[in-house]
This record gives sequence, structure tokens and C-alpha cells, in this order.
Amino acid sequence: MSNQKDIAKKIRREALKKNWRLFKRSKLGMIGLYIVIFFLFLSILQPILFITGVWNKGVYDPVVGYSEQFQEFLVVECPKEYPTEKYKKRSDCPGRTEVNIRTLFYSDAQVGETIIQNLQPAPPSSKHILGTDSLGRDVFSQIMEGSQVAFVLGLLSATLGVGISTILGTIAAFFGGKIDAYLMRQSDLILMLPTLPLLFIISAFAELQVWHLAVVLGTIGGLGGSVITIKSQALQVKVKPFVDSARITGGSRMNILFSHVLPNVAPLALLFMVFSVTGAIASESVLSFLGLLNIDMSWGLMIYLAQVEGFIFSGMKFWWLILPAGLSVTFLTGGFYLVGRGLDEVFNPRLRDR
Amino acid sequence: MNILEVKDLDMSYKTIDGDVEAVKKVSFTVKEGESFGIVGESGCGKTSVAMSLLQLQADNGKITNGEIIFDGKNIVGLSESQLREVRWSGISIVFQGAMNSWNPVVKIGEQIREAMREHYPDKTKEENTKKIIELFDIVGLDSSIIDRFPHELSGGMKQRAVIALALSCDPKLIIADEPTTALDVVIQDQILKEIRKVQEVLGLSLIYISHDIAVIAEMTDNMAVMYAGSIVEMGKTDKVFSNPKHAYTKMLLESTPSIVGPKKKLRSLDGEPPSLINTDSYCSFSYRCPSPDDNCRNRNIEMELTKIDSEHYADKCCINCG
Amino acid sequence: MYKYVFKRIYQLIIVFFLFLVTSYVLFDSIPGNAFQNLLLNPELPPEAYEQVIKLYGLDKPLTERVFLYIGNFFQGDFGYSYKHYPRTPIDLIAERLPRTLMLFAMVNIVAFYTGFLIGKILAWRRGSKSETWITVTSVFSYTIFYPWFALMMLWFFGYKLDWLPIGKFLYPEKWYDAPYDSDVIFVSMIKFTAVVSILQILVYIFTRNIESLNLRRNARFAGFMVLTIASLFYWNSGDLLIQKPYAMDIAYHMILPIFTVTVVAFAGTALLTRTTMMEVMKDDFILTARAKGLSQRRIRDRHAARNALLPVVTSFIFTIVTIIDGSVLTETIFSWPGMGQLILQAVLEEDIPVAMASFSFIGIFALIAHFIADISYAYLDPRIRIQSQG
Repeated sequence: MSNQKDIAKKIRREALKKNWRLFKRSKLGMIGLYIVIFFLFLSILQPILFITGVWNKGVYDPVVGYSEQFQEFLVVECPKEYPTEKYKKRSDCPGRTEVNIRTLFYSDAQVGETIIQNLQPAPPSSKHILGTDSLGRDVFSQIMEGSQVAFVLGLLSATLGVGISTILGTIAAFFGGKIDAYLMRQSDLILMLPTLPLLFIISAFAELQVWHLAVVLGTIGGLGGSVITIKSQALQVKVKPFVDSARITGGSRMNILFSHVLPNVAPLALLFMVFSVTGAIASESVLSFLGLLNIDMSWGLMIYLAQVEGFIFSGMKFWWLILPAGLSVTFLTGGFYLVGRGLDEVFNPRLRDR
Repeated sequence: MNILEVKDLDMSYKTIDGDVEAVKKVSFTVKEGESFGIVGESGCGKTSVAMSLLQLQADNGKITNGEIIFDGKNIVGLSESQLREVRWSGISIVFQGAMNSWNPVVKIGEQIREAMREHYPDKTKEENTKKIIELFDIVGLDSSIIDRFPHELSGGMKQRAVIALALSCDPKLIIADEPTTALDVVIQDQILKEIRKVQEVLGLSLIYISHDIAVIAEMTDNMAVMYAGSIVEMGKTDKVFSNPKHAYTKMLLESTPSIVGPKKKLRSLDGEPPSLINTDSYCSFSYRCPSPDDNCRNRNIEMELTKIDSEHYADKCCINCG
Repeated sequence: MYKYVFKRIYQLIIVFFLFLVTSYVLFDSIPGNAFQNLLLNPELPPEAYEQVIKLYGLDKPLTERVFLYIGNFFQGDFGYSYKHYPRTPIDLIAERLPRTLMLFAMVNIVAFYTGFLIGKILAWRRGSKSETWITVTSVFSYTIFYPWFALMMLWFFGYKLDWLPIGKFLYPEKWYDAPYDSDVIFVSMIKFTAVVSILQILVYIFTRNIESLNLRRNARFAGFMVLTIASLFYWNSGDLLIQKPYAMDIAYHMILPIFTVTVVAFAGTALLTRTTMMEVMKDDFILTARAKGLSQRRIRDRHAARNALLPVVTSFIFTIVTIIDGSVLTETIFSWPGMGQLILQAVLEEDIPVAMASFSFIGIFALIAHFIADISYAYLDPRIRIQSQG
């Protein structure tokens, strides 16, 4: 008996090895995996830096940290009409190390003098790799924190959603009848509800924490369209000869369901999971971007802050407030998407090129 | 006059496990109006030969060596557009499993007309339709089928329509690749008769590929036996049948029941065909040969066809065993 | 067949009913109500608040209100908006819906078409360098963080280059002495677009049966040119000549949102098409088509793409369902006064009649889309046509 188990284990290991080999051949899938690993590394790195004391919590904390950045400024008076010799357009004045005298309400400095001022948001320096935001908080630390949020939220909601839809979809396919009819109508209903307004309503109930949002997104995703897809896959599995032979040899319904049907639905479920991580991260960012979430820090929130503080239209002058967060969302969701595509090629032989 | 001459054809597929040498040093000729059979078990390279004749092998397959001289012209290494001219109007093919040979969302008539439009661009729609009806008449189909979708036809009707499709551009050579696999026995017989009739009426050359040695005996003038990518025996069909030389051919014949003659015990062949990845050029049958002689067991003779008599050749490494 | 259709209609009506109940209960359970800010005014006696609540029937128990609402709904009575009092939700939607539909119908058609085209090419050129690069670009634009991207586009084209307006539906200063209401002009734009698209489709259908491929292409091109010239004449004639500059102003404001959403939306279709195409290309009839000596292009378009169309069209139809849903974000960023903004505002301000009416519209949209999906299935796949007859 144990021998049989060993053999089964060995076969499983071989299959895993083969799948890994197939996955490795998909170049884009590997790139996606590297991106995901990179962000995972970032999110683990932050607590390590705090614990080891490399980063001082008071300075580098993504939410309450504050970093003093003093710099000398030249006081100038911006002209009323452009272009002048020194400034070509209105946005060129004041320059990076200059300050407009008309905005100096609290100082009696004169034009031509230099004053020392706190510079926030500060551009990237050796102390702050990605600079600081307008409250003097380290952007790089914020990116790391956002990465943690994204992983917790994405993985939690995807696991929950796919768990629900796999169980419901398989049950619908396997038992049919009234249960099936009920579950399908429920999916129809969920599909009809517009997602974003629905999330607004939910966010109005209570201040949503990350894990609340994960549960909500997971449940909506799990009850919606993916039940239908999983069900159709389970229906295909259900009529396969090996299920019949399991039934003939006297397997109980539960046994057949769990040891024959579910494992064959699992690859599709895994695929769904990877793709729904993408959706969850995007949803969180959108909600934070609209200022509807009670989250201390996330990528969406960073963009939200940059927008309400008016840095978006200052163009690339404050690029470290705009680019890192937006690109992080894009790259992490893209990374998960590419991993999903690579897995698709492993599980669906018709997509392989040979 | 030879319509087709294949010389030392090698073809291999690139896979993640290594190169699969599906066709190794295959040479044969097909005369005008003759029917030529290729027989062998699944995976022996029959279909790969057929595909390389039209150069339709999958993207990872490549002809690495050899010549295919069709109608006096080598077609190996021709450009895609030159090949397109040879395809269907020179060599056409009846695939195995007619069910899947039709595009499910296009009408039968349109799919045939499409090929004709490609090769006879000057003909009008009416002329094409007229010809299709004639062809349907030859293969025994009703003309109303032109406006049907593939899924509306039965398996036998689809296969007949595939034959009509194969004839639509007046090819000189037709390759029939197990055209009756998915059909029941009665329909199989009808289809075989149809192919035979068409070939005789139109004077075409035919390459018939099958794993069923009985069908080959009925259908062909000359035949080749393939094993693990190489031809192991080749010659006039009745000579091969009456006097098989190679151990594999003998086994094939003894594993098929005959309804005439004395009752014999059927023999089965143990084992599986060898893997075709990174093989050498020595006797490939030695592992399965039931009673190998020294040459066969030690694998010290390179595989090569040797002349038995004027119209019969066999691979020399397994002639005397089995 | 009819039995199936009736069963489906019956099911969908029940789902729709549940949808109405669920939405109403959801809105109602949001803490507070639309008139709570009246309480903040110390000059107003508390009785006034009570009176308003009573006036709108908010003092009745939830179940009674739900049934009242649904009863009124089926009589076509949506009540009055809480926030824009004398106006009815239908009135508001009638004003907003065309704007959203026009914008997103155009986006979706353009995105679907280019996506399908690009996906086709991707699948066909599998393994080449160009495939990798196009795939990377598509994945990037598929997963790009949309609000951020939209803001970047606004900044770049609207602010930095100053080519296009920064959001909004029109320049108010141009419309002070306009002889027409903006909605009138917008409706005539919609009419024009609809007629032109239908004519274009008709040209396409009528040229389908031309046997020669060259002739077919030329005929289609000629049809397109005739339509273009005809529409030029149309806009320069009579009444429309006066409307033209105003229509141009609206069209000018549409360019940036259309372009931005298209860039994001095409990629989904492209990647889906690529996957389904690659599955179809493993089918035997593709081999037959190659053996027949057809050109690569014809095999790709006529055989592979035609069979890959089904799932793509399904996804297209379900995208249309989510137009209003998806418009929320775009309209917020581009300040486009459409359904998305209406629904967002209604939800945030708890203007239940408007929110419910908008939700109902989305529901009705979904119902219709389900049917369109069934019909187009039957049209695209003759196998289903037969099955559903039996």
C-alpha cells in the first residue's frame, strides 16, 4: 500500500516537473513570474529593514514617518509676462532651487537672498531612493507598503473567490436540478449588478479595511460569472469515462466529486485565481483612487493624493509622486496576468506551439 | 513514367524532449495511374510521409534531407507561393477523419469552390458549381449538399464530399490517408470502392496509407511497409503478400485473420514501437524481433533495402529472422 | 425551441425582479438618507425634516416601500429625484444616457475591431519577434492602471501639448449665443452616426457575394468613399450648416476619452482573440485549407478567425452590458456628464429614485444583451442553429 502511495507521489512529482518545464518555456510567463517575485521581495524587505534598524521608523514609516529635507533657495520674483530671458514659460518659474517671493508670506527675505527652507516633496536622493511626498514621507517605503496591501488583498480575495466558485460550480454541475437552477440565477443576478456602484454602496456602510474589501471582492467574484465557467468545465469532466468507471466500481458520490471531478477542475480554477488577483488589485486601486477606502497606504491612495494635491498636472517635475505608484499597479497586475497566460499554455495543450 | 519520386527523405520534429526523426531515408516511386500503398502501425511515420509530400507538416517539423520529385520537378525547398500551386491542383489529399476536415461554419459547396477559385481564378461561380455537381455525381452524392453545412451530413457523406473536394482541381496524384478510419464497415467498403472507381475512371495516381493490411492488399498495385520511420519492405503488393521477407511484415501478416485458406493461430506482436528521438541507423526492429539472428541482435548492420527480386525489396538486417 | 425561449424569459424576469429588490434594499441600508443635511441647518425646525421624510414616503417600513417601488416601476413611474426635485429620473437618464452610449458605443466598436485584427495577427505570427512585442504592448495596456493612465493622457494631450480639451462635454463660452440646445445637436450627431454605420454594414453585406476577391475589396472601398462624400455634403446643407461648428465642438471633446478608453479596451479583445485563434488553428480543417493551396491570409480570415469569432463576440456583448458600469470612472476623470456620473452622484447622495432607475436600466440592458448573445450565437455557429430548432 505504501508502495502504491510512493508511486503516486512520484508520478505527481514527475507531472509537476514536466509542467514546470513547460511553464519555463513560456518566456513571457517567466517575465511575469520575475515581476511578481520582485514585488514579493519588496513587500518582505520593508519589515526586515525596520526590524534590523536600517530604517528608522520615525523617518521611513510609510504613513506617519517624516523626513526633514532642508535646502537653500534663491528668492526671485517671477515676471508677469512670458517669455523672458530666463524663463520661457510660466511653469519654468520658480526653478528647482528658487522660490517666488510672492509665495513667501511668512518671511521678510528680499529678492536675491538665499533662504533655507524645508523642501517637500523632495526629489530622489541617496537617503530616499524615490524621494518624499508632500508630507515628508518616503515614497519607496510607501511603494513597499502598497505592495504588501496588494498581495494580501489580491491573494486573499482570489483564493476566497475561486474557492467559492469552484465548490459552487462543481456542485451545480454534479447535482443539477434545483440547486443548479438556483446557483445559475444567483450568478445572473450578481452579473447584472454594476460592480463599481455596488462597491460604492458597500463602502458607504462601513469604513472598509483591506481584508473587508478582500472578502467583498472575493464573494462578488466567486458568486458571479466564474461559477458558470467552472460549471461548464465540471460538466465536461462529469461525462468523461473515468467518472463513469468510478461510479461503476462503487465510488460514493462524495468520493467521485472530491477525488475525480474536483482535481480535473482545479487547473482551470488555478488559472481563474491568477487572473482574479489582477482584478482585485485593480479594484482596490480604483477605490482608493476615488478616496472611498479607509486604508492607510496603498498605490491607489498615492495616486489619489498626488491628484488632489495637484501634482498630476505639474507634469514630470514631480515624477516620483506619479510614476512609481502607477507603474507598480500596472506591473504587478501585468506580472500576474503573464503568469496566468503561462499557466494557460501549460494546462491547455492546444495553445502550445508543439 | 514516374509521377512521383521520393529520394532519401528525412524529416524530423523538434520537441522539448529532443528531435523526433519521424521519417528516415525513405525512397519510393509512384508511376502514373498506379496506386501505391503504405502500411504500418500507428506512429510509424506514414502520415508524416504524406504531410511532407505536400509540405504541410506542423511548424516544428522540417525536411532535413532528400528530394521529392513531382512531375519532373523537385518540390522540396519551394517557396510558399510555389507550393500553393502544387497543392490541390498537383497533389491533393484525403485526410483521416473527414469529420474534422470541414470548416464547421462554411457551407460545403463554398469550401470546394474556394479551392477552385484559388486554382482557376477565371472560372465563374456557375461553372464551378456545375463541376461540383458533376463530382458529386461521381462520388454518389446529391447536388443539394452544396448548400449544406458540414454538421448536417452523415460521416459517410462527409467522406464522399471530401473525395469530391480532393478531385475538384484535377490533381494528378491523390493521397488517401486512412480515409476510412472513423467509418463503420459497410460505409468503409463503399468508400473504398468509390476511391477505386474514381481512380480508374480519371486515371489518377493514388497513394493509399493505412494500418489495415487487408485494405492495402485490396487497393494497391505496389506497397511499402513502414516501421519506426523507415521503409522495411517494398514491392509489388502480391509479391510482398505471397513472399514476405522482413520479420515485421511477416508479423503483420500473421496478425491479420484471413477468411480463405487453412485456419491459423493469430500471432500478436509484443512491445511498442521504439522512441524516435535521437535514433541511430541500425536495425530498429531488433528489440521486438521474436527470434532475432546474430545480425539483428547485435545491431551491427546498417539498415538498407536490398533487392529480393526485380520488383521486391526488403531491409537486409531483419530478413532472415522472425 | 420556443419552450426554451419562454423558460429563459421566465427565468430572466424572476432574476430581474430579485435584482430590483436587492438594489432597493441595498440603497436603503446605507446609513442615513438623502435629507440628513437638512438637520445640520439650525434655523430649520426638526418638524420640517420630519415633513420632508413623510413627503417622500421614507417613514414607511422597508417592505412596504419595496413593493410600492416595484409596483410603480412596472407602471413606468419612477417618482422624482430627491436632489434635482422637479425632474424625474427618466428625464435625467434621457439626458445622460445618449452621451454615455455615444461615447462608449464608439469606443467599443473601434476597440473590438482593432483588437480582433491585432489578435488575429498575433496568433498567426506566433513565435516571431513582432508577436512578442505586440503581446507585451497589449498586456501592458490591458493591465495598465486605468485612472492613472487617463490622468497621464489628460496631462500630456490636454495640458502639455494643449491639443485637446481637458475633460468636459463642451466649451461653455462657445455656446452662449448658440441657436440650439446642446442635446438637440448631440441627438442629430447620434442619428448621423447611426445611419452611416448602418449604411456601412449594408455595403458590407451586399458585397459579400461577389466572387472575385479583388472586385469585392474595390466595391467596399467605393462604398466607403461614396458614404464619406455623401456625409460631407450632408453636414454642409441647410440647417446642419449652422449646427456644424457646435457639433464639431462636442466631437472635439470626445476625441481624448475615446482614444484613451480604446487604448485600454482593445487589448482585452486582442488577447482573447489570440487565445481562441490558437485553439482553432490546431483544428484539422485548417490543415485542409492549407492543403487546398489557399493563401495564408484567406486561411486566417476565412477559416481560423471566423471560427474564433464566437467567444470574442460573446465577450463583446457582455462588454456592452458593462458600458454604464465602466463609464463611472472614465466620466469622473474626463468630467463627461453622462450616466456614470449620474449614477455615482445618486449613490453617494442616496438619491434612491435616480439610483434605482439607473440600476434598472443596467438590468434591462443586461437582459437585452443576454438575448442578443443567444441570437448571435445562432447566427455565427450553424451547429447551434440546428440544435435550437430540434
